[in-house]
Amino acid sequence: MTEYAEEVEKMSFEESIKTLEDLVKELEAGGIDLDRSIEIYEKAVLLRNHCRAILEDGERRIQKIVEDSKGLRKEGFDLD
Amino acid sequence: MPETITVAELNSRVKELFARTPALNDIWVSGEISGLKKYDSGYYFVLKDANSEIRAVMFKNAIPRLGFVPTENMKVRAFGSIGMYVARGSYQFIVEAMEKSGIGDRYLAFEALKKRLGEEGLFDASHKRPLPQYPKTIGVVTSASGAVIHDIITTSESRYRADILLAPAMVQGEGAADSIVAGIELLNRQGVDVIIVGRGGGSIEDLWPFNEEKVARAIYSSKAPVVSAVGHETDFTISDFVADVRAPTPTGAAAIILRDRSEMLSELDSYMTRLNRAITAAIDGKRHSFEILDSKLSPEKAMDSLDMVSMHLDDLSSRADRSLSDVLTAMRMSFSALDSRLQPQRALEDMHGLEERVEVSLERIQTAARVMLEKQTGRLAAVSDRPEMAIDGILRDANGRLESDSKHLEGMNPTNVLTRGYSMITDMDGKVLTSVDGMDIGQSVTIRMRDGSAVADVTKKERQR
Repeated sequence: MTEYAEEVEKMSFEESIKTLEDLVKELEAGGIDLDRSIEIYEKAVLLRNHCRAILEDGERRIQKIVEDSKGLRKEGFDLD
Repeated sequence: MPETITVAELNSRVKELFARTPALNDIWVSGEISGLKKYDSGYYFVLKDANSEIRAVMFKNAIPRLGFVPTENMKVRAFGSIGMYVARGSYQFIVEAMEKSGIGDRYLAFEALKKRLGEEGLFDASHKRPLPQYPKTIGVVTSASGAVIHDIITTSESRYRADILLAPAMVQGEGAADSIVAGIELLNRQGVDVIIVGRGGGSIEDLWPFNEEKVARAIYSSKAPVVSAVGHETDFTISDFVADVRAPTPTGAAAIILRDRSEMLSELDSYMTRLNRAITAAIDGKRHSFEILDSKLSPEKAMDSLDMVSMHLDDLSSRADRSLSDVLTAMRMSFSALDSRLQPQRALEDMHGLEERVEVSLERIQTAARVMLEKQTGRLAAVSDRPEMAIDGILRDANGRLESDSKHLEGMNPTNVLTRGYSMITDMDGKVLTSVDGMDIGQSVTIRMRDGSAVADVTKKERQR
């Protein structure tokens, strides 16, 4: 599971939530053995935590493209 | 003498003349509004152009159909007729409808371009691309100083976090269309996930760049999906028709692209709820099967079945055992019976036993006889008649009986059997031979006699018929 935790850490939000959704559906469908059920549960918790972390602690950059004699570049953009 | 009329009559005749002249009625006049005044009765202004002017009035009954608020210096096209104010001897243009000038031309141009681009397929639903669910970067083409970028940034604060990259553009006036096109292309080269093209509300002229063909084509060719947010909710531009999604306002555009964060967090929670429910169900299911298995395999049950089996086994084995031991016991008994009968040692012991029993019997008989004798003697003592005879008779009787009993008993003594001339033959192991069938020719046998034994070889045998 620690291996999977490292894998999750590298996932984008989109990948994580998609995987989480698939796992939840698989578990809900039933018909799987207990070992797999527990594995799914553990993975899903990791994914949920990862998604939550992205939603709660994610940062965003606000920039504008500036074009002058030095060419094109991006710089921070603040609201006045 | 020429007719003399009143001033009022004159002005009335002018009024009638105006009214009867088609060239002065239901006509469009273009000009600029000047000296605008608004009264309860309506708008009063001067309509003028470079060379001339005329007073004009728009009565209040016509105002609701106007659709815009006239302003000083506004260029308009006014529809109406010449009217005469008889009391003042002045004429004026009575405006029944009015539109901002140029609008007709623009409207025609707009409709023509919309038709052409529509036929070309630029508005086709099949070309509309879905917006990314979780964009990393949102590109925005708008003025760096306007309300649009402000609204987008503030609205997205509470939403899924995406980077915002602004491509500042002129959004009205000369060169605006080219600036917007450049912005769209620039953001595509930056690899943004979605682009918002927009500007705030304004006049139809202000919004006009978004009705230009080059802007429409840039939106159509954009690799990243485009959300248009131009003007107010009621304003529609060609850009809105080409864009993948039309947002009513810039705030709306941010809300369409980025999901609300608290909503997403509760969605995550709902996944956990579903997950917990499913795992509980899975475990309960397994527990149930375990219980079924367990109940089948529980120690008590196992013991029960084991007990049953072992009881059955016990029963079988005890029955087998019993019958076996019965058989064995029976066999042992018959063997020992046979044995005792066939063993000379045992036979001798039996004989000694018999001898003892005979001796005991003799003693008891003698005792009994003595007791009897004494009794008789006692009785005799009491009888005085022929006492000797009676005693003699009794004694003779007793002695005779005693003698015959003794002889009989003596005859039963096996030793006496040998004494009487019989002999007993055993094999060399001491087993009594009672039949010629048990003998083989050449076999050595022991002959046991009253006073000793001798070994003899069987030389011949013959079975009695």
